[in-house]
Amino acid sequence: MAKYAMVVDLHRCQGCRACVEACKIENNTGEGMFWMHVFRFEEGSYPDTRMSFLPRPCQHCDNAPCVKVCPTGARFKRDDGIVLTDAERCIGCRYCELACPYGVNYFNWQDPEDSQYAEMIDWTDPDIQQATGGAVPPYRNPDLEELWGSEQRRTGGGGHAKGVMEKCTFCVQRVEKGGQPACVDTCPVNALLFGDVDDPDTPISRFMRENETWRLLEETGTEPRVRYVGGKPPSQSYTEVERPKARV
Amino acid sequence: MRRALTVGLIALGFVLMIVGYFASAPWGAESVSNSDPGFAFAPAVFVLGVIVAFSSALVYELYDDRRER
Amino acid sequence: MATEVATPRTKDLPQRVGRFTTGWKLFTVAGLVVLAFAIFAYVRELGSGMIATGMRNVGTMGGATWGLYITMVVYFVGVSFAGITVAALIRIFELGKLRPIARTAELLTVVALILGAIAIIVDLGQPIRGIVNLFRYARPQSPFFGTFALVIAGYLFASLVYLYLGGRRDAAAMAHYPSRLRGFYRWWAAGYMDTPEEQARHRRTSFWLAVAIVPLLVIAHSTLGFVFGLQVGRPGWYGTLQAPAFVALAGVSGVGLIIVLGAIVKRIVGDTERVSVDVFSWLGKFLLGLLLVYLYFMTVELLTLLYATPAVEKQLSDALLFGPYAWTYWGSVALLAVPALVLIWQAVTRRWNIGWLVASGVAVNLAAIGKRYLIVVPSQTHGTLLPYEVGSYSPSWIEYGVVLGLFALGALMIGLFVKIFPPLPLSDEEVMADA
Repeated sequence: MAKYAMVVDLHRCQGCRACVEACKIENNTGEGMFWMHVFRFEEGSYPDTRMSFLPRPCQHCDNAPCVKVCPTGARFKRDDGIVLTDAERCIGCRYCELACPYGVNYFNWQDPEDSQYAEMIDWTDPDIQQATGGAVPPYRNPDLEELWGSEQRRTGGGGHAKGVMEKCTFCVQRVEKGGQPACVDTCPVNALLFGDVDDPDTPISRFMRENETWRLLEETGTEPRVRYVGGKPPSQSYTEVERPKARV
Repeated sequence: MRRALTVGLIALGFVLMIVGYFASAPWGAESVSNSDPGFAFAPAVFVLGVIVAFSSALVYELYDDRRER
Repeated sequence: MATEVATPRTKDLPQRVGRFTTGWKLFTVAGLVVLAFAIFAYVRELGSGMIATGMRNVGTMGGATWGLYITMVVYFVGVSFAGITVAALIRIFELGKLRPIARTAELLTVVALILGAIAIIVDLGQPIRGIVNLFRYARPQSPFFGTFALVIAGYLFASLVYLYLGGRRDAAAMAHYPSRLRGFYRWWAAGYMDTPEEQARHRRTSFWLAVAIVPLLVIAHSTLGFVFGLQVGRPGWYGTLQAPAFVALAGVSGVGLIIVLGAIVKRIVGDTERVSVDVFSWLGKFLLGLLLVYLYFMTVELLTLLYATPAVEKQLSDALLFGPYAWTYWGSVALLAVPALVLIWQAVTRRWNIGWLVASGVAVNLAAIGKRYLIVVPSQTHGTLLPYEVGSYSPSWIEYGVVLGLFALGALMIGLFVKIFPPLPLSDEEVMADA
């Protein structure tokens, strides 16, 4: 049985946010929903400031507080380590969002069609049509409607219905087909690694053996499956700059 | 008869509560099986058990002795 | 066997039951208007999605995802503490003095639980699915299971049973009066004969019901505290004191509201002796005791925060004490401390005044709503463990509308009840003579 995990190499991340874009396009997330989010932190005060970037996907914790508190079992952890949300069982109570120390959960506050960026751009404009090839978002990926895994639940992608929760799924619809999450595939500097950590020969396992890793918010006891190499855990003295102006 | 029914209902209520509680999804967050109840509507069985146990009070007071004659 | 009754002293039902005065009608119409507005607001929320509220995601969106609705859920479930506590005090501790207020308190519990249940439903993104899926899939390790299965389903049913059985004697008496509600009273009485045997049976049942409901009450309020207290990822929520503090504030708001409701009911039925100053003074003393316990909890929490705060909580405690939430925080402290002083004064001078007691009851309930709000919201806007920018939350008109509608619904339910059933236990004069 594969056991998936992710490693983020902070020596390489330069804050281009390609992973954020790729995630949005792959998973059809709406406005203001950043399943993958990259922090830009500033530490210290001018002129002694330091900048750093920190990609923050869902940590797919082994002791996930979101799984524990879900009243209906819509949020669950698979045996391969991925934590998913069943879009058909979720009742939209948003308890998982509050239990999560990392802030990775997003709620569909409105109809998914209304939350796409479609309202901001005129997609019928000929210049834009030339670029998009005539397609109008949401670019529906049919895989997002499928039932995945031995548990056969509708867990791929976002924007299924208003009033349900969603978050990073490690692109389960890609992983089930033998691929990697969209963010991992897209990163231009290979800062993201993903794979089976039970298999000692995968690139991620080798990387973890060769480098010292740390995890976010280790003190909460959540046992995250996302590890970081380089940089250091963000402290309360960090300030977030470049916060997404994303309040729908 | 009144006593028997009352005690019976309380006992039935507790049985339903215990069955319903333990059949609702098991403790633990490690795998998918922790998110499904043992049988559908197990939590409803638990709630029913609570209701049955408390309706024993209704039976105890409302039971019509005259029916026995 | 019921024998024919002697000519009633008055043809009117006792306690002004069945007498729909102009004042009552105006009150009911006003309530229905507010309720209609609330339904309109909720339908808007259903149609456009919860974006119509002021709630937003925590973290990157800088909002609070639980807001006014959950505040009111906690408040209403807290208020429901009142009824069964009064019942337990009467039955288990044999405080017969409180009997006049018993039915009013139980009514308050039932109404508060119904309002709490509705408040949860309106907060769900998928309400119908929520109702079905909770019965189908609810998981015991989620603190919501306790709230849903024990509070809404168990506690509510038990309180209804208690209210029903406790009213049978008066229902049997009311059935002797000529009125349109006779059939209703006969149904409620279910053949109650008021023989010594039945009375003994009722005493036994009430005692054991009260004994059984008390653990339900403790579990109910504790699991509600656990909903917040077990979240290690939320500074301000995670803590061992949440469950006991919830129970204490529930008691404060519940008893406070019984005082207010008792005074209103006394006015409506035109009672001059049963719900006496004695009853209110007892409730006042009880309220004072609970207030002192809760103020102790608050003081301990405040001193701890002021002495040493972990870095992750500093932002939150600064926001509470000196920042955007300071008015609500210190306002709630004042609305608890001042009534405490007023109650101490009344206790020491032994001069209990119903007006001051009602004012204290209102004040502590406003404080309870404020405190519940302070538990729910600041930990979301100012309590993220990762250093997101701080957020903000202000309820939209839809949330205000729905919440006002909940209060209106509660008032309408109570208003209707006191006009179809006597809220005070019938006096010997009100009970018709029968064999």
